[in-house]
Amino acid sequence: MSVFSQSFSPCGRFLAAGNNYGEIALFSLSAALSPDASEGSQKPILNFTAHDGPVFSLLSTDTHLLSAGNGEISAWSWAELIKKVSQLFSKCMCIFLGLGKMYISFHCCDNSLIVGGGDNNIHIMDMETGIFKSVLKGHTDYIHCLCFKEREEEILSGGEDGAVRIWDSRTNRPVHCIEVFKYEECARPQFGKWISCLATDSDWMLCGGGPSLSLWHLRSMSPTSVFPLPGCQREAVFHQDLIMSVGEGPYVSHCLHGGTVKAQIPCTPSSLNTLALNLKNTEHRVMTVGGSSHQIDVFTNFSYRAFSLSF
Amino acid sequence: MSSDAVKKRKPKVVRNEAGTPETKRSRAEGDQEVRVYNEEVELEDRDPQQDYMLYKDTCADLAKLMAEIQELKSSGAKVGSVEIEERHRQCSVHFITLKKLNRLAHMRLKKGRDQTHEAKQRVDVLHLQLQNLLYEVMHLQKEISKCLEFKSQHEEIELVSEEEFFQEAPAEISRPHVTRDDNHQLTLARLDWELEQRKRLAEQYKMSLARKEKIQKAIEQKREYLSSLQPGLQNIMQASLPVQEYLSMPFEQMQKQAEVARHLPPPLYVLLVQAAAYGQACDKTLSVNISGDVDEAKALSRRPEDSQEDESDSDAEEEQQNTKRRRATVGVQLEDKRKAMLRRHPLSLCVDLKCKDGSVLHLFFYYLMNLNILTVKTKVSTATDLSGAVSAGELLNSESLLNCLYASDHGKETPNPANRYQFDKVGITTFADYVSDLGHPYVWVQKLGGLQFSSDGAQSELRGSALSASHMEKTMKLLRGRLQARLALHKQFSSLEHSIIPVSSECQHLFPAKVVSGLTRWTMMSYQEFTELGFVQHVLKAGLVCETDLFFMAVVERGTARLLAAVVLNPRYPEVMPLFSLSLHWKGERSGRTEDNLRAMESEVNVFRAELQGPRPGLQLLTNQIQRLCVCLDVYLETESQVCDGSEGPREFPREKMCLRTARGPSRLKPFKYNHPQGFFSHR
Repeated sequence: MSVFSQSFSPCGRFLAAGNNYGEIALFSLSAALSPDASEGSQKPILNFTAHDGPVFSLLSTDTHLLSAGNGEISAWSWAELIKKVSQLFSKCMCIFLGLGKMYISFHCCDNSLIVGGGDNNIHIMDMETGIFKSVLKGHTDYIHCLCFKEREEEILSGGEDGAVRIWDSRTNRPVHCIEVFKYEECARPQFGKWISCLATDSDWMLCGGGPSLSLWHLRSMSPTSVFPLPGCQREAVFHQDLIMSVGEGPYVSHCLHGGTVKAQIPCTPSSLNTLALNLKNTEHRVMTVGGSSHQIDVFTNFSYRAFSLSF
Repeated sequence: MSSDAVKKRKPKVVRNEAGTPETKRSRAEGDQEVRVYNEEVELEDRDPQQDYMLYKDTCADLAKLMAEIQELKSSGAKVGSVEIEERHRQCSVHFITLKKLNRLAHMRLKKGRDQTHEAKQRVDVLHLQLQNLLYEVMHLQKEISKCLEFKSQHEEIELVSEEEFFQEAPAEISRPHVTRDDNHQLTLARLDWELEQRKRLAEQYKMSLARKEKIQKAIEQKREYLSSLQPGLQNIMQASLPVQEYLSMPFEQMQKQAEVARHLPPPLYVLLVQAAAYGQACDKTLSVNISGDVDEAKALSRRPEDSQEDESDSDAEEEQQNTKRRRATVGVQLEDKRKAMLRRHPLSLCVDLKCKDGSVLHLFFYYLMNLNILTVKTKVSTATDLSGAVSAGELLNSESLLNCLYASDHGKETPNPANRYQFDKVGITTFADYVSDLGHPYVWVQKLGGLQFSSDGAQSELRGSALSASHMEKTMKLLRGRLQARLALHKQFSSLEHSIIPVSSECQHLFPAKVVSGLTRWTMMSYQEFTELGFVQHVLKAGLVCETDLFFMAVVERGTARLLAAVVLNPRYPEVMPLFSLSLHWKGERSGRTEDNLRAMESEVNVFRAELQGPRPGLQLLTNQIQRLCVCLDVYLETESQVCDGSEGPREFPREKMCLRTARGPSRLKPFKYNHPQGFFSHR
């Protein structure tokens, strides 16, 4: 089993994880983190099959959990899920995104859902009506990751073609295109050119994948630091002063903006696909990582692994 | 004085001491002048006390006279002097007095004695009379008591009770008018009645005896008649044999088998009956035979009476022998005890299961009498000679052929918990040592024989035949399936060892037409070797492997890439899918644990049973798995070199497979799924 995606509930007490069999499991963080937690509390409280193919992306809005798999996006109500009812709220068949089992990633802002998929385009859907408002074309290969800069309302997308494109969400026009693999300090031709992770923090952007994980200054559009991490990074986030990233290799890397790798915290899965931080809830402030194993590691103190949830 | 009286009588005295005064008086009459002097009469008159005084006086006088004489003599008087003569005369008178007194004393004494004597006599006579009377009394008392104790024989005869007697006996015997009053008569009457009855019954008895003799004779005659029929029937049976064969109704055979079957121990009998029934009803290819020594079995069944006598005799002989030679050592004795405990019943069952291709599975069932369990030994005979595939050595090994027919039924330990105590007594630690000799005590064998032991979960209430019947069909199907699976594997192995993966035409659609990677090696491993491999530790930790499984190593190669696959084959193949663990040696070593794509390959091969098992009964599973492994390796190698942008020179593996996308998702999985008939690869 491989865990591909995670998402925390709006209240922050539950974690939803999606795996490669199309199942979504709901874990109760409050039970797992309580002092009298047992082995049973590390098992999911709800486990249901959401899609045919792998659930590559999970996203939580204020009321709903959105999951993507196999050319379709499904929405589940958090209230229902918490009551252990896995009833489908609504499903949106993104047929045009699919040629069957394609990889979809999305992001949401305001009331729109930004969907990037196998047809190399980015679609913006209005969540209230379910109508696709616009299409952003430009990538030449499927899109891996999406990111949103709230201040300037810009969409960043990274794809298999190795390009990071920046789009203005109001005008739906491309603003910039950065071909990361063309920069020598980042490029790693032995791995390839795809970009699999994107993160942005106002002026800064993290991107990595085939090329090394690098921190870019968006105004100058140049890499300021390159992180010497050996594997391909699959997800990276900014957290306070640190950059945390996961990817190939059984560890979570803590890096500093300067480009040094501060620490590598070992984990159970042999390689990690997803990292999630539960910042909404101060009681259950944890970091969870999942990857090519049925176990999802939970870090209460970000410096070491506390325990593992069992999918 | 008395002396004077005596003197007076002196001239005519007839002294008469004895005799009665009467006679003396008569004599006195004859002689008038004779005075009868009767001293006895005189005696009565005299007083003894007076006589005694007289005596004393006389003695005193005498003493005085003597003294005077003495005086006179001493004073010189002459001898014949008058004074002395006087004194002499007085002395002699005194002497005479004394003599009389003496006489009187004697007479008194005699008289006293006589009186005493007389009295005594009288007393004696009375005493005797008393004794006589007492004696007679005693005698009479004894006689009386004897008479009272006398039991006449008549009391020993049990008589009918009085009421019955009065009811039943005819009047002339019972005579109630007399007997009601007189007990003696009553008893006599009753005795008479008893006698009558006995006479009557004796007659009846004689008559019955005579009848019985007659009937006995009749029976004898009829028996002779019947026995004379027997040879005739035999002839008919013999003559009908060819007819039986022609009609294929082997009654004779079945009869013989039934005859022998009577001597089978109960579990084997249950097994025989159920197996024969199943064979007749459902499965024509199953046949059951009894083999073994019938005489020994008969001897065993006669065990209780005969062998006890034999034992005592033989014991006596043995003791004699033992005293002569040294006693056997303790070890040998223990060994003998063990052998006795593990003794098999002389009869055994042989069940043959024939398969369509002509191979036969022979099962030999034995019954261990003291342990009350059944064991089985197997043999496989095939229609074609199985050419030696080295790796297939274990497949048809009779020791392990039937291992785990049902899950975890290893047949190493006896399923009967009571045997534990028996073993302790003779020092057998584990039954596994004797399994190769005696056969495997599988749990299903016990169930087929109707033996249920409490450790089996104790769920079913069935016993005996019902238990056997409920398991028969399933077990036979499993046995046949096992044999076929093993034979199929055997064939497959021999071609795998020649590096050819035998894929049948029905399964051809699972794979693309061209498969470049090839199997270069197929060898068997031991459990030890398997556990030492580095890339299988996850399987061991998950507890999916046990010692009874079969382990193989397959090596698939293409170019410089070498894929090692460790295969765990459960004895229950193909019910349980073989488990593959992969390790790739190509530009370094990778295994499923370290790389996601190899993990995906493992899942591709291990998980999709429905696709890979092919047509029923799914004997193609292993070969399909291996073929799929080769296909996946092809895809892996061809798509892997895609990623490098030609910076290392020409690609080793040119891209030949048609894939939609070569890498999907954050883990960049390769497309391992083959789509038929379009012939392209996609992701699952």
